[in-house]
Amino acid sequence: MSNSKLLMTFPVSATSHTLVEYRERGGYATLEKVLRQMTPTQVSAEITASGIQGRGGAAFPMGRKWGVVHLNDGQPHYLCANADEGEPGTFKDRWILENAPHLLVESMVIAAYALQVRNAFVYIRGEFDLPYRRLAAAVDEAYQAGYLGARILGTDVSCDLVIYRGAGSYVCGEASALLTSIEGRKPYPRNRPPRLTVRGLYQRPTVVNNVETLANIVGIVANGAQAFRAVGTAKNPGTRLISISGHISRPGVYEIEVGYPWSKFIHEDCGGVSGGRQLKAVIPGGISTKVLTAAEIEPLHLDNQEVEAAGSSLGSGGMIVIAEGTCMVRLLQVMLRFYHHESCGQCTPCREGMGWLHRIIDRVVAGDGRPEDIERLYQISAWNDGTTICGMGDAAGYATSGVLNKFRDEFEYFIDNKRSRLHGNLECLASS
Amino acid sequence: MPRIFINGQPIDAEPQHTVMEAARANGIVIPYFCWHPQLSIAGSCRICAIQIEDRSWVEIACNMPVSEGLRVLTDSDQVKTYRKSIMQLMTLNHPVDCGICDKAGECTLQDYHYLYNGAPSLSRDVKVRSTKFHPLSERIVLDNERCILCSRCVRFTREISKSNALGIIQRGDASLVRAAEDRPLDADPYSDNVIDICPVGALLSRSFLYQSRVWYLQPTPSICPGCARGCTVNIWHRKAEWKLNALDPAKNVRIERVTPLENPSVNGPWICNKGRDLKQILERPRAEHAMQKGGVVDLATAIRSARRLIDHAAHPVALVSNWGSNEELAAFSQALGARFTTFVKHDWAAQPGEPIEDDLLIRADKNPNTLAARALFPTVDDGGTLDGATDLVLVWGEGFDFERVPRGAAIIFLNAYVQPENGHADVFIPVSIQTERRGHYTNFQGTVGAFEPCFPKKPSIADAEALFASLAISEVEPA
Repeated sequence: MSNSKLLMTFPVSATSHTLVEYRERGGYATLEKVLRQMTPTQVSAEITASGIQGRGGAAFPMGRKWGVVHLNDGQPHYLCANADEGEPGTFKDRWILENAPHLLVESMVIAAYALQVRNAFVYIRGEFDLPYRRLAAAVDEAYQAGYLGARILGTDVSCDLVIYRGAGSYVCGEASALLTSIEGRKPYPRNRPPRLTVRGLYQRPTVVNNVETLANIVGIVANGAQAFRAVGTAKNPGTRLISISGHISRPGVYEIEVGYPWSKFIHEDCGGVSGGRQLKAVIPGGISTKVLTAAEIEPLHLDNQEVEAAGSSLGSGGMIVIAEGTCMVRLLQVMLRFYHHESCGQCTPCREGMGWLHRIIDRVVAGDGRPEDIERLYQISAWNDGTTICGMGDAAGYATSGVLNKFRDEFEYFIDNKRSRLHGNLECLASS
Repeated sequence: MPRIFINGQPIDAEPQHTVMEAARANGIVIPYFCWHPQLSIAGSCRICAIQIEDRSWVEIACNMPVSEGLRVLTDSDQVKTYRKSIMQLMTLNHPVDCGICDKAGECTLQDYHYLYNGAPSLSRDVKVRSTKFHPLSERIVLDNERCILCSRCVRFTREISKSNALGIIQRGDASLVRAAEDRPLDADPYSDNVIDICPVGALLSRSFLYQSRVWYLQPTPSICPGCARGCTVNIWHRKAEWKLNALDPAKNVRIERVTPLENPSVNGPWICNKGRDLKQILERPRAEHAMQKGGVVDLATAIRSARRLIDHAAHPVALVSNWGSNEELAAFSQALGARFTTFVKHDWAAQPGEPIEDDLLIRADKNPNTLAARALFPTVDDGGTLDGATDLVLVWGEGFDFERVPRGAAIIFLNAYVQPENGHADVFIPVSIQTERRGHYTNFQGTVGAFEPCFPKKPSIADAEALFASLAISEVEPA
């Protein structure tokens, strides 16, 4: 494993998430330094100079997002941490929320200071129980210690942090739907323009950042942008939290330096495919990214640019390992069931298309597939490509066409023979 | 003004306009389901797809601001293909039961299918089943299978009528439009507008449900007499060429439905539910025969008797109707105004439970032409006792308490509906209603609106405008 770690820098224990131990690790010293010695513009400049990209999936540079907000436009601004980690296969933010909630709180206060935000929000996934309790406790501790609320650390800076729990909808992870949900309405994603940094929460400029992205702020500001850029690649500096699951011996959350060799990560750091099987494919960053075969990932490094050149994306860092013998038709069925279930139903291509895709794949798995079904799956995916209000339609399309591109023969076999060419289970048998 | 190009045609657009608005202002057709000129942008139906020249993808016109030099294509091959796909998706779970759908013939989905797709469905899978005949309110039923979730109705109740009565529950292709339990749609006096703005046959009027195919009907422009707003409406009735003889012939001369006739200076594209129910006012039992003291006479006899009463009256008093048209009121003023002491009578008052006034359309004055009546006859009837010297009272229209007539005074009564007082008058003359004649009303802002006849008037019924001129002729032979 790479030696450079920016977030997982301490041994996790039963009390490592508390304020006492966070302070022992140097916690909140950066906040103090920022409030006493830096101007908001200096903080923003440092973030921009670090070149950090969003860790939520779209890899949008954080500095550019912040740059749209005019500090002196006379409006209230809002900051929101996107902790609605719903992308299947992704559970990296959960690690931060459970084990380093104060890192997020401190980072958010610094970000709030840089963006002149009085009220900041954390939108946390409703199913997150322990992460919510840990974060809520951390916010309480921070308020009592004077790191949140009015006149933080005796300065003129004030910031309140509100935790908002979601109700279990996948689209709430989309930034505009998330804000609509905070406003108390049905979380339909919003049309752009306007961008959220122009008109977001309560029609005011709002910055929504992923938890992992925000958590890097303390490190960037404490050690400087140059130190951050020293890790990772030139275009994509820093580290990534990778949550790996599926047919893997040691699933979990790993912090890796951007540019770490992929197959080394899977076969050495994570102990290889469980049961000693061969690697068949990997979904690199949540199921909305296109699947890559074992041969494709062999030469690659965990760097978004390389992965994108290979036709996929590191996305949210939710890696799903697929062992040899897994039926990709069944896999696609599970994925499409998810997208059908989670489509918010606002815009036509996704609302109708997801159900259609799901019904087709259900029929194929039931042994009633038709030769034209594969073309139809492609067609519906294409109808969703870039034509929906949010990215969910595209994502489902990528997932579908990704699996079909790489494993078309399995679908053809299934349709012709009314059964899987493989044993058909998705689960990895422990004894094998 | 930013200059944009739509299909190469230069257009000077308003800076705040979207591409959709700029195109419409210049007569360029871009299809839409969810967009509505009076409602916020939903951007969800995606049928208004357009392409910017040199871009490889399609975008939606309704949410695209205009900018200098923007070059828009509304019917490139890519746009056409995309619209076709949207129509495939729109009809995927739509039952396509046009044969039994009230909206057929004026349905946007139907029109667009033929305009932009025309191909049969590519799907071989069963459609999503959903609720039929869901009672959204006392007035509206909802067919969820037909619903394309454009959210126009939801936005209408939020942004226009502000009742917040509707919302969408569930998600994905299981989404359902439903009324809020604590804010019933019944309480919304504008609820029926959602039936008009529904682009498909999902929201259905209970009173019009399965009453008629729309292509058998014709709209006649008219004015709603329900209040002083004077909303312009279309009164829909059976076309003359589709006259029914074997079925109930009464269907030929009845109001089938009332819809708004868009008029930006008065009511925009909306009317209230009272306007939808005009048949409850205009189709009450009609007085069809002239009477003297309750005995039926022919119209000419009644007119002669009325003339005689006018000739012999020393102190005649008239109460004119503020449901009379501008023409009728002018005719009265010209023919009889000098002869009578004239008061303007308020024919109608708000009924129990009726909304009195709001800041959208509904006015407290429940009569259509008070302004014009008062301009001619400044004195308003205050409901008090009439001058004891009065020996003739001419009452035109409803809403008069005959107890107020001084003992011994003669009564001439002009009314359109069956009413017990008709038989008590010395002379009773039945008059036409607004669906039987042409005329104008002046609303409370001074805006004059016209109404056209829908049905023929029966010969035994008088037309008030002609009647007043006729009443002014003296029966006494010149000496």
